[in-house]
Amino acid sequence: MAHILLRELDIPNIKDIDVYLAHEGYQGLRKAIAEHTPDEVIDIVKASGLRGRGGAGFPTGVKWGFVPKDVFPKYVAVNADESEPGTFKDRQLMENNPHQVLEGALICAYAIQAEAVYIYIRGEYWDIADWLDEAIEKARARGFIGENILGSGWSCEIYTHRGAGAYICGEETALLESLEGKRGHPRLRPPFPASVGLYGKPTVINNVETLANLPYILDKGAEAYRQFGTEGSPGTKIFCLSGHVNNPGNYELPFGGETTLRKLIFELGGGTRSGKPVKGILPAGASGAILPATDEVLDTPLDYESLRPFGSSLGSASLIILDESVNMAWAANKMIHFFSHESCGQCTPCREGTYWLRRLYERLERGEADLYDVETMKNIAAQMLGKSICALGDFATNPVLGTIQHFGEDYEAVLGGDGSGDASPDEKEAAATEAAAD
Amino acid sequence: MADTVKITIDDIEYEVPAGMNLVDAAKLCGVDIPVFCYHPKLGYAGNCRMCLVELGTPRRNRETGEMELAWFPRLQTACTQTVVDGMSIRTRSEKVRDGRRIILELLLSSHPLDCPICDKGGECPLQNLTMEHGPETSRMYWEDKMHLGKHIPLGELIYLDQERCIHCARCIRFQRLVADDPVLGFDQRGRRQRIITSSTPPFDSIFSGNTTDICPVGALTTADFRFNARPWEMVQVATICSHTPEGSNMYFDTRPDREAGGRTTIKRVMPRQNEQVNEIWLSDKSRFVHHYMEHPDRLTRPLIRKGGKLVEATWEEALEEIARQLQAAEAEVAGIAGGRLSNEDFFAFQKLIRGQGSNNLAAYPARVAGAEFVAQVGVGVGTNFLDVGEGDAILVVASDLHEEAPIWWLRVKAAAERGATLIVLNGRETRLDKFATHRIRYAYGEEVATLNAMLGSLDDEHIQPEREVEGLEETLRHARGFEASPELAAAAKAFAGAENAILIVGGEGVGAETSHNLAQAASNLLIATGHVGRPNNGLIIVWGAANSQGAFDMGIHHRYGPGYQPVEQPGLDYAGIIAALKSNDLKALYIAGADPVFDDWLMEEALRATNAYIIVQDMFLTQTADLADVVLPTQSIAEKEGTYTSGERRVQRFYQAIEPIGESKADREIFLTLAQKLGHGEARTVAGLIFNQDIAGAVPQYAGITYQALARVEKQFPDVGGEDLYYGGTSYPNRHGLGVQWPVAAEDESAGLVVRPAEAGSRLTATDSALVVVPVTVLYDAEPVMQKTQLLRQRVPAPYAALNPADAARLGIEAGDMLEITSDGHAIRVMAVLDETAPRGAAIVPRRLQAQGAPLAAVVAPVVRLERIGA
Repeated sequence: MAHILLRELDIPNIKDIDVYLAHEGYQGLRKAIAEHTPDEVIDIVKASGLRGRGGAGFPTGVKWGFVPKDVFPKYVAVNADESEPGTFKDRQLMENNPHQVLEGALICAYAIQAEAVYIYIRGEYWDIADWLDEAIEKARARGFIGENILGSGWSCEIYTHRGAGAYICGEETALLESLEGKRGHPRLRPPFPASVGLYGKPTVINNVETLANLPYILDKGAEAYRQFGTEGSPGTKIFCLSGHVNNPGNYELPFGGETTLRKLIFELGGGTRSGKPVKGILPAGASGAILPATDEVLDTPLDYESLRPFGSSLGSASLIILDESVNMAWAANKMIHFFSHESCGQCTPCREGTYWLRRLYERLERGEADLYDVETMKNIAAQMLGKSICALGDFATNPVLGTIQHFGEDYEAVLGGDGSGDASPDEKEAAATEAAAD
Repeated sequence: MADTVKITIDDIEYEVPAGMNLVDAAKLCGVDIPVFCYHPKLGYAGNCRMCLVELGTPRRNRETGEMELAWFPRLQTACTQTVVDGMSIRTRSEKVRDGRRIILELLLSSHPLDCPICDKGGECPLQNLTMEHGPETSRMYWEDKMHLGKHIPLGELIYLDQERCIHCARCIRFQRLVADDPVLGFDQRGRRQRIITSSTPPFDSIFSGNTTDICPVGALTTADFRFNARPWEMVQVATICSHTPEGSNMYFDTRPDREAGGRTTIKRVMPRQNEQVNEIWLSDKSRFVHHYMEHPDRLTRPLIRKGGKLVEATWEEALEEIARQLQAAEAEVAGIAGGRLSNEDFFAFQKLIRGQGSNNLAAYPARVAGAEFVAQVGVGVGTNFLDVGEGDAILVVASDLHEEAPIWWLRVKAAAERGATLIVLNGRETRLDKFATHRIRYAYGEEVATLNAMLGSLDDEHIQPEREVEGLEETLRHARGFEASPELAAAAKAFAGAENAILIVGGEGVGAETSHNLAQAASNLLIATGHVGRPNNGLIIVWGAANSQGAFDMGIHHRYGPGYQPVEQPGLDYAGIIAALKSNDLKALYIAGADPVFDDWLMEEALRATNAYIIVQDMFLTQTADLADVVLPTQSIAEKEGTYTSGERRVQRFYQAIEPIGESKADREIFLTLAQKLGHGEARTVAGLIFNQDIAGAVPQYAGITYQALARVEKQFPDVGGEDLYYGGTSYPNRHGLGVQWPVAAEDESAGLVVRPAEAGSRLTATDSALVVVPVTVLYDAEPVMQKTQLLRQRVPAPYAALNPADAARLGIEAGDMLEITSDGHAIRVMAVLDETAPRGAAIVPRRLQAQGAPLAAVVAPVVRLERIGA
């Protein structure tokens, strides 16, 4: 199958605008403008069934449809912050197929009649930001960006904006705050960005990969797009494969059907480097709950819904493969450390909870924890759920709850003391008081 | 508040105002939803997650089309909800209690739990809510707690304990939303997130102290109170701010102190809620300046000049001598009284001077005049800036409210944010401009002309006096002789057409005479447009002192006695007194609570030249006292009781907080003792009796007001303090009186109103070498009481003149140059500061940054560069 997104694998040097144009480049945008009203574009995207690739899987056309028609100016924010551990798909798209991303952003901007597109790009991608700036200039020179685009009377600018290294700025409302020059603190919703977004104006925030699907949809039509994937999750998805596999990297595959974890890990990924069996899979970087590598899991066709029965989700499809050499309590510690470091600090449960959990995992790592502490971890994580403004506070509970649920024995293996770990809360308290008195 | 909605809280249905925040609505129904970050004056931030409730909202069932209650599967923050009809919440379910318990456990996980040494201990929302809703023990290992910085000065006034901070952002939001000084913010993230200040100097805000009240933990504390006393040890004594004219209600929190030898001292000042006056806010001057009251430099015994020197004397000796001198002087005496005296003091003072047969009375500072216009068209009883909003208008002329009356600035700004039309007329940019709908710049000297032009620009449709007005034709004819720019005419129209309109008149740049004319012009505009005699309509004058309004009410004036009743034989005004001193037409001058020499070189010259006997009564040996023949030690507001009248004419009581310093006596007591010695008759000295009997009898406006009535309180919203301190902060509920506003003439609908053409001055113009030197008021000046308050003194700038860079370039002046400004033969030395907001041709010179450091009114004067500092 030819790629829809990672087209540089089929067409060398497609990052060059001339090569891109020679291969149907900007055809989607041309058709959108020449043949459709903005509302028709939204209808086509709705019909395509395209879902957001940032992780939530929300239908893109529906999201655009929430934007009020009569409020101006409107904006498009491109989420290129790509900071989920194990995610590196947007980077490859922007590096090797930048015009497809720009074209997608312009189609979105046309559909909602935005006057500017802001590409919020991860700060570490400074080189890519430079290249994108060059690509923007080249597209502008061809009349795709700027005043009166393709004679349509509609004008739109594209700007890149570099993040400063905070994971939370990949959360769409924190991204908007950061774009406005403020601290990256997620906003309370409602109101949603579609009505009150950047600078208080209607804003669509889409992931890079989401946008990269649009040129194909507009050029070939919603039906053509739906030949890939499933009814509920049409199209193709870039799977970021990393961890203990021989061939890590990005793989673009259609949703569902033959696309399974087994195919990704053993066929495309070439199995584990150690040759040891796969123990667990993180399907959505650090944010999704870990999956045990059972046959059932490995053979499930992957789409947005199929991992739900296992208590996890596909998210941005950043698959981190862990083999049998890994103690999952150790892995959870790494992830909790990450969330504790990246919690913005706004909401009590996430700010305090991630820090507390981190300290408990450090105890575990030092061999000082017992079963009571593991119970506490479980309880804190369970209590953090659903109590914060954004999803980070919920995501942070996944490594804890998932690993304890599926790999309880890994915890038992690292418990300290006599390993029985059944000190009662009162005894613990007495010990803590004593420690404090020292 | 016509619209209400029905909501259900824990299965009980209530009717609450539509559009209200759910936490407030529950509060109104007597249901406490615990909060940390939410504050009724700040709105919601939704970050502490303490207010989680089970929430059900009415939704239409798509299949049946029926409305039904849909419960959110997860707990929701109440503070982010606005009540809607049919909303239902559960606040006591197991799920909610679990939620609260874990939030508190989490909040306390890295909290230092140092309540026993924390200033907030005993009045701490975190402590209280933990007792009510929290777990009894923590599962956090003590040694796992994160340690952060302690004792971090955010400025000279406020200290931060980063460990105690629960990141509610109330302080940040107060500074941004209420004070418009967005100088606080968060730094770092996660558990390391901390409050920082981003300004230079740090925490640059005149409202910074309020953050310590609304801080729900002991993270923010004041420099003068931290580790100083426990809340439960202190006795709260109700008082009134004695420094600016808003009449801010506050408490002196007092305690006997070992370091003061067991004497009761003022440990701190806290706001005392009065939603009609200062709500729950105080300026930092109100809060921190009290330290002068217990300063060792306070005068403790009378001083008599002997052999050219002031030496200590007994009261008996001093009073005998004064009585002898006054006896001899007969009617050739004059009195000047400063605006920090109480109404009872003023009343006794005018009685003493008038008992001599003299009407030579002047209130100090004398530069702002026009109280008789307030008596006619002052704001109606019941006026409350909180009620001013969309459809209403506020006009501020010749005042920098932020510096002259900070609480009014806060409230006027908030009214503008609620949609009121704000019109700002000034010769320069002030901090109110940002919120103004109409910003009008006039040339200095054209203040009255500008108000006249506004009146003149109105067509008949907008002239709606609504009753008989004497002199209207003539006044309108006169006003139409002034030309209004289209912008000014538009502002006039907006003012006239507003539902309610308040006109605030300051005295920036003008002298006493122009100030009087400005009040006349303001009064004309109000009467002609029908904005008088009703709540939220009328005149407010920005007085130069806290109780100037009371001084005029009590008859400290050369033309009228108590209650604005004209005297038969007008006496000398302030300028007249100076002239009479010089010509030796006065035999004695009594200056009480005023330090005119500090401001006015003409007064110094006169006092040095005169043969008159000079009596000065003050707390410190001021520059004026230094030239006196006798100096009497008097008490600060903390040592006596009595009443003040605010600029909104609210008469308010204050109570004695500490024992008198040394042998100092209350001003009224001294005056009345002297009056008795002079044979003016027996007199009451008890403040309450003076108020209820003497003042009520002599001042018709006060006739219906009793001392007791001033102490009345009623329930206010929002609730603060006590059980509710988690909600409104540590501001205290008012248990000692909300005060009473006295009615003005216009409120009697049958009363005739009078307008007169307001005489306008002409534009002051800069020349090649001279600039228009404009004296302005700054909150942090170097007046003697500020000098005695170490904490605030640090924020007082060195004397300076702000020049427009273009003028500076023209005159060859650079920033930092030392300038000499000479007017009337008096030279002022100030540092040049270049400021884009200074109007072309003007030098803005703050008064009272040094002795005699500014002209009394705007004047064209040569500005010369003396030397270049650091060049």
